Amino acid sequence: MGKQISIFVENKPGKISKITEVLKNAKINLRAMTIADSGSFGIIKIMTDNNQKAYNVLKESNFLVTLQDVVVVEIPDRIGSFHKVAKILEKNKVNIEDAYGFIKTEGVKAVLILKVKNVKIVEKILKESGYNVVEF
Amino acid sequence: MQQRQVSSFLVDFWEKSIETIDEKKLKELQLERLNYSIEIAKKSEFYGQKLKDIKKIKNFDELEKIPFTTKEDLLQNNPLSFLTTDLKNIVRVHSSSGTTGRSKYIFYTKKDIENWADLVARCLFMVGIRKNDIFQNMMSYGLFTGGLGLHYGAEKIGILVIPAGVGNTEKQIELMRELKTTVIHITPSYLLYIAHYIEEIGLSPSEDFNLKTAIVGAEPYSENTRKKLENIFKINVYNCYGLSEMNGPGVAFECPYKDGLHLWEDNYYMEIIDPKTGKILGENEEGELVLTTLKREGMPLIRYRTGDLTKILRERCECGRTHRKIMRIKGRSDDMFIVKGVNIFPSQIEAVIMEFPEVDKNYQIIIDRKGGLDILTVQVEIKKEFFKGEINELRDLQERIKEKLKEKIFVSPIVELVETGTLPTTTGKAKRVIDKRRL
Repeated sequence: MGKQISIFVENKPGKISKITEVLKNAKINLRAMTIADSGSFGIIKIMTDNNQKAYNVLKESNFLVTLQDVVVVEIPDRIGSFHKVAKILEKNKVNIEDAYGFIKTEGVKAVLILKVKNVKIVEKILKESGYNVVEF
Repeated sequence: MQQRQVSSFLVDFWEKSIETIDEKKLKELQLERLNYSIEIAKKSEFYGQKLKDIKKIKNFDELEKIPFTTKEDLLQNNPLSFLTTDLKNIVRVHSSSGTTGRSKYIFYTKKDIENWADLVARCLFMVGIRKNDIFQNMMSYGLFTGGLGLHYGAEKIGILVIPAGVGNTEKQIELMRELKTTVIHITPSYLLYIAHYIEEIGLSPSEDFNLKTAIVGAEPYSENTRKKLENIFKINVYNCYGLSEMNGPGVAFECPYKDGLHLWEDNYYMEIIDPKTGKILGENEEGELVLTTLKREGMPLIRYRTGDLTKILRERCECGRTHRKIMRIKGRSDDMFIVKGVNIFPSQIEAVIMEFPEVDKNYQIIIDRKGGLDILTVQVEIKKEFFKGEINELRDLQERIKEKLKEKIFVSPIVELVETGTLPTTTGKAKRVIDKRRL
């Protein structure tokens, strides 16, 4: 099962740099980030090379932070590969609540992060379809 | 300009004999009525206890022995314990919000209602409002005294009253134009908003309406706001003071000289005290206004601490009225604040916040004014253990807090969720309320 870090932030300048500073000082490599905002506040979701450590250091720095279960799946960095995953999930009536990704090796490998209701079932579906599901 | 307006109706009084009563006679009348009030008050359960050792007073200095009545007294005691008469003789009740969800109740006999209407009529007549005026009452009707109080006073003069109530700005403007409204009763923030709205729809506040007078009250506002409103609409704006504990609006009112508010001393005995020590202060000294009802029979209140800060003006008024004036209300001696004309205590907001386990006990209240409208923002901190990382949950929490607050304080706030540890803590002198309005 994969994890992502979810951080509550007020919608103000300088909030992201505080997070990146904590990660930099802890020598954590940031892989991907998304921001959802709701007026005066937002939620930043990040993926790093060491999510447990990132969670710990952010918590120690007094961030309102939580680890969330997500599906992290490797896909080829090629046209249509996300579509294939999406089709499989559609067939299995899986609703994707949130999704983002990053390229691991250009032209070779990308990583998809999917927020779904039942992570274990989706991981099983994707494994059975021949995908490499990343565990943390 | 002011002089011309003053001279046009200065000569007229609603009840000249009492409004211009000789100062010595007024004092005698007050002393007589003070003793009446004390005696009638003793018929109530509350004052029967509180005033049992008080004998007839012979001069005003003896008043100092009589204990104050406070808003806590009204909140903590059974509302009926203030009644001097059987409930069957009561014809009306009004209510205003107090701390932590409790309300103050004020009861009126038929005579009390008539007397109050007469006082309001006196105020309206003083600023030149007559039978041929069209009066649009843009204050809330219901438990709040602002709506019905002015309504009855205006009807007493025989004015056509439009019971418009608050809100629905489009309809308000339609009424003003269709019925050629000449007088309005409104809060300063709503009047500023209406000015803005009228300009937005391409009309001129000064040329497309028949307005000549606005009675503006229920919220504190400055002389600058008055001038601004007068200039926008080209009307006279008069300041009105009252509180439900003392019937409602009409306790004190500005005359055409617009320099302080005549407090009707035949109906109320006023004192200014030091809010900390309770010591009685003199004229021109600023402190908390303390009022005693002199004519109310159903629910007299003796030495009631209003919480409003002002001073009694020493100078006698050129209008000829002998009732002394108070300065426009400067603020509060407690932490009550007024938003959109509604009295709110921080403790009311605190009580609502405490009902939500998801948020911390720290909170901050920010009041601002944009486009003439009051904006109330309540900031709360999310508790760490309740953070699940989903924005929908937070939006839902925000909405639930907002709805609950609206239900309790009757004003729809903006609820802001902030990071843990960013708000001032409850220890020490935390500044819970930040008022950014330039009143």
